[in-house]
Amino acid sequence: MNPIIAKALEEGRYKLLEHESFELLRQYNIPVPDFALVQDVNEALKIVKDIGYPVVLKVVSPDIIHKSDVGGVILNINSDDELRSACESIRNNIRERAPYARVTGFLIQKMIPEGLETIIGATRDPIFGHVIAFGLGGVMVEVLQDVSFRIVPITEEDARAMVREIKGYRLFNGYRNMPARDEEAIIYVITKFSELLSDNPNIVEADLNPVIVLERGKGAYAADARFIIGSV
Amino acid sequence: MLTKFKGKVYLVNPRYDEVNGIKYYKSVLDIQDDVDLAVIVVPAPAVPKVTDECVRKGVRVTIIISGGFSEVGEEGAKLEEELRRVAQNRIRVLGPNCIGVYNAFNGLDTFFLPEDRMGRPRPGPVALISQSGAVAGAILDWAARRNIGVGLAVNYGNKLDINESELLEYFARDNRVKVIVMYMEGLKYPGEGKKLLEVMKEVSNVKPVVVYKAGRTKAATGAVKSHTAALAGNYEIYHAMLKQANVIEADNLTDAFDMAKALATQPLPRGNRVLVITDSGGMGIQSVDALDMRGLQVPELSESLQEILRKQLPPLAVTRNPIDLTGSATDAMYKFVLDTVLPTSYVDMALIIALMQIPGLTINLGNYIIEAKRFGKPIIVVSFGGNEYVVKFESHLEENGIPVYHAPHRAAKALWALYEYAKIKGVAREW
Repeated sequence: MNPIIAKALEEGRYKLLEHESFELLRQYNIPVPDFALVQDVNEALKIVKDIGYPVVLKVVSPDIIHKSDVGGVILNINSDDELRSACESIRNNIRERAPYARVTGFLIQKMIPEGLETIIGATRDPIFGHVIAFGLGGVMVEVLQDVSFRIVPITEEDARAMVREIKGYRLFNGYRNMPARDEEAIIYVITKFSELLSDNPNIVEADLNPVIVLERGKGAYAADARFIIGSV
Repeated sequence: MLTKFKGKVYLVNPRYDEVNGIKYYKSVLDIQDDVDLAVIVVPAPAVPKVTDECVRKGVRVTIIISGGFSEVGEEGAKLEEELRRVAQNRIRVLGPNCIGVYNAFNGLDTFFLPEDRMGRPRPGPVALISQSGAVAGAILDWAARRNIGVGLAVNYGNKLDINESELLEYFARDNRVKVIVMYMEGLKYPGEGKKLLEVMKEVSNVKPVVVYKAGRTKAATGAVKSHTAALAGNYEIYHAMLKQANVIEADNLTDAFDMAKALATQPLPRGNRVLVITDSGGMGIQSVDALDMRGLQVPELSESLQEILRKQLPPLAVTRNPIDLTGSATDAMYKFVLDTVLPTSYVDMALIIALMQIPGLTINLGNYIIEAKRFGKPIIVVSFGGNEYVVKFESHLEENGIPVYHAPHRAAKALWALYEYAKIKGVAREW
């Protein structure tokens, strides 16, 4: 079993922490922003010198599943002052909206530039095993259900078909003032994600949301990841 | 079975010695000769014992028609487990709770439906795998009436042993089978989806597999579960599996056989460009709509080719493609267009619309169309009508390997299936 997952299960957790999720993705060469787990504002100020602004600050807690819902995420932090007040705000928000939650620390990560937001998800079906879903972020997945599915393991060709199958695919080729997107990069991420799932039957559910697809040639990054784990 | 099966049949029933001059055995163990296959139709509680006798007799395969197992609840599930223990590694089992096998080639027919209610199709290139017994019976009856050669059909019921994956592999190896049609409602056992995906992918490389998966909506999930003791699962996943496996998915049963008919008889196209010849402008337009919706093209013919056509065709004929011969069409005009355009590199297949209500067309048109098979490109026909002459024309074509459809959208779907499979086989390109 992957040590990250083994450790979480050992500690009785069914969810990987933010930095654990990123580390797991990194093991499979899935690009994630530069990140670090910090305990307090001083550590954050030190680390940010390596990462460089702009950054995102997220609360890390085994008790919070939807960080944004409790004010646990602050985007686009551009200076030391902003970083200080972001730490403060998140602490206050958690105290107010999730007083029960244990706080492990903060995840500080490089802010990925704007791009096409996509979602890659996975569930574990009793009959088919892991199934991967792909769609565009925002209303496209939730309201329009413009999603494609494939069963793990998938080939590169399957991943390409998944991407091209969704109605929103046209956006990858550029539209009006929006540039063409790095389709090969997102295909690569989906293929590696399939490998990750194949190797780790303990994953019950996973979401890479958003995976930001940059201009052609500039890659695709998983800006946030959530893994739910359990017994096989 | 007794009249048509080309092998020998023994009847076993402890209650009779002889009926209508046919001998009955008390037990399978009383039969002197070797027995290859046992068809078991006894009340469910007696099935494990009878199966055990078959094992002791050295029978290798059994088809268990009897119902009353996992499909009826917990008691039945226990009985099925008992049957599994008796059979496992000792005898192959089809069923229980199935209607069994229809084999038009050797007359093996365990479908218990009478001949005047369920017609038997002629031996032919289509194999059917059906999760539902009643649906299989209805399909065979329907296919028999339409002269569709469903040479082999299997319903696997609760699939205690033999399942759809193994049947697919078997039909892939059988050279008499050109197309496999599968009707499924839902899978049942943990992990078997992955196995089926693998097998479908392999088999699709060998021959086309057309699948209709019923139970697509949330509303139908409960019905599937009680019908086949299967977990219906999410249709989206099945849909994904079929795509991933290079299987051609049908939207309903007639759809499946419309496509199977073309896949069983036609060569694969090298591209998606369709030549449409019609004697009705209206049907021509409908066909272009239907083809376009399926991603197929109706390319305008080159000026030089149109020039050649114009020289021979009446002035009112339209030569762009669709080629509209109008109500003054004759057999010879169709032949001329077919022979001139189909062999060229501008088109990959032909959709011929022949409304036989106009007096200029005769049954001989059928011969011209059949002769055009020599160009090695798919040809299908749309005919619509009801008089005797139309019916004769249609059967003449179908008997000679040209599929006929009664509506342009059905013909378009069939051509689409040919093109899809040509892409899967890597022989077609997109224009």
